[in-house]
Amino acid sequence: MSSKTLVCTGCGCLCDDVQVEINGAHLGQIENACAKGAAYLQAAFNPELRAKGSIRGRSCSSEAAVDEAARLLSKAKRHLIFGLDNSTLEAQALAIEMARGFGTVIDDASSFSYGPLIEGILKKDLPTCSLSEVKDKADLLLYWGANPTATHPRHLSKYTYYAYAEFNPAGWYPKVTLSSIDVRQTELTTMSQPTFRIKPRGDLELISGLLGESPAATDQSKQLSELVKKSHFCAMFCGLGLVHSIGGDFSAFTRMVQLLSQSIRVAVIPMIAETNMLGFTQSLHKQTSYVNQVSFADGVSHGREFSILEQVDHQAADCILVVGSDPFSALPQSLMSRLQGVDIICLDHFSTLTTGTADIVIPSAVPGVECRGSMVRLDGDGVALAEPIKDGFPTQEAILRQLLEKAQP
Amino acid sequence: MTSPQNETVLTIVAHEDVHLAIARLRDGWGDAYQKKAAVVRLSRADLEKLGLKDNARVELTGPAGAVVVTAKSDVTCEAGLSLMPSSLYTNRLGSYEPSSSTLPGKHIGARVMPTEKHITAVSDLIVRRNRA
Repeated sequence: MSSKTLVCTGCGCLCDDVQVEINGAHLGQIENACAKGAAYLQAAFNPELRAKGSIRGRSCSSEAAVDEAARLLSKAKRHLIFGLDNSTLEAQALAIEMARGFGTVIDDASSFSYGPLIEGILKKDLPTCSLSEVKDKADLLLYWGANPTATHPRHLSKYTYYAYAEFNPAGWYPKVTLSSIDVRQTELTTMSQPTFRIKPRGDLELISGLLGESPAATDQSKQLSELVKKSHFCAMFCGLGLVHSIGGDFSAFTRMVQLLSQSIRVAVIPMIAETNMLGFTQSLHKQTSYVNQVSFADGVSHGREFSILEQVDHQAADCILVVGSDPFSALPQSLMSRLQGVDIICLDHFSTLTTGTADIVIPSAVPGVECRGSMVRLDGDGVALAEPIKDGFPTQEAILRQLLEKAQP
Repeated sequence: MTSPQNETVLTIVAHEDVHLAIARLRDGWGDAYQKKAAVVRLSRADLEKLGLKDNARVELTGPAGAVVVTAKSDVTCEAGLSLMPSSLYTNRLGSYEPSSSTLPGKHIGARVMPTEKHITAVSDLIVRRNRA
């Protein structure tokens, strides 16, 4: 029995203090992980939950799957590479290189979620900071359309509210104001003081009130405005509730943050659930100036037509390479049912609905458990994954390298 | 006393559920997943409007499809709103709208009707595809 410390790749928090006991190929006691992280690590050690090499539903070796995938990639005329939000920076770099070499479309889940928010942060239209800067320094923690107790169970305890070293004189509550904006009551809203319960799609009204653009500002927006303005450093944690409510249009939100930043410090941190979405979007942005929806068919082009949603809706691709993502469980079934007759190649460590329907499945190593690599945490801090604790499958990086060598664009 | 309505229209707010995420990681798409995902939480007022008791079955019909799930009363839920964990069930109801840059899965307008039908099985929500 040996004890190891690892980085949990179960969610975007990338907690680096998780301790596990390993007994040969078996996982023993897990310490410091949340229930979600523990379930993720246990799944990594459960052969029944792992992806298996297959060609059109028939089991095969990883090598045979790679050869057939290379053949399909060589044969295809219109490729789409999708996913990569749970891959290491090294694998992401190779996928972008492959997209460029093949002249293909590349996209990730930020395309229908955090893309506009991340773009605002990368272009420095929105201020941000690391979670280590938040702890003990921010005097207002504002969770907006986010419920970390469901998505990032250790966010409050490891990085924000409960991580504060100082408590109020009674010694009970951390010395920081915890507030939240949500359409429903959650574990977080019951802890927050104050909490702002809004109507579905009511976020824009709140933003307008804060901007002073609403002629009849609601009591809620006045109260929120006072709360934010009396703080010195407000950390805003933005979740999918906000993203979807404003339809991905962050222009008013950006103006609001810029206005508030004239009098107080504001830092915006997206509550990304994927382990390395920020890494992928940063890498693609560095090379193309775009965070997603890129085509390398004719230099670098960007547009909604290159989003996975439009690509699938218009049946634009004849071969889709999915890397570490499960669009068949995440996207509307009415949309995914349009992918009849399209070659789908899937690289993943777990068995998913996408591996279940893909033409080719290539099993890969679990980052942080079976392979090293680098990732970018949801606050932009780089995280190096520790030594692997288990032997297993080839890395996504190694598989993509083989595909690059074997496939002829 | 007013007689129960045959149906009502509600906005379903889909949300992340850590217990559902754990069930999927532990058991895949099995019974534990279905039990946690095939649930809609309604206000007491909406449940009574439909003449339903806790744990009755309802058919939800959204823009893209229909599912049968268990209806549960939730005191935190306002009338006109309902809550469901984001899952294959909500993915069946919502459709992709090209004009929107985000997915429709967060707020779904749906018709809710009492039903005697069986709970929709997860296997019925999996997209079957003809491989090339």
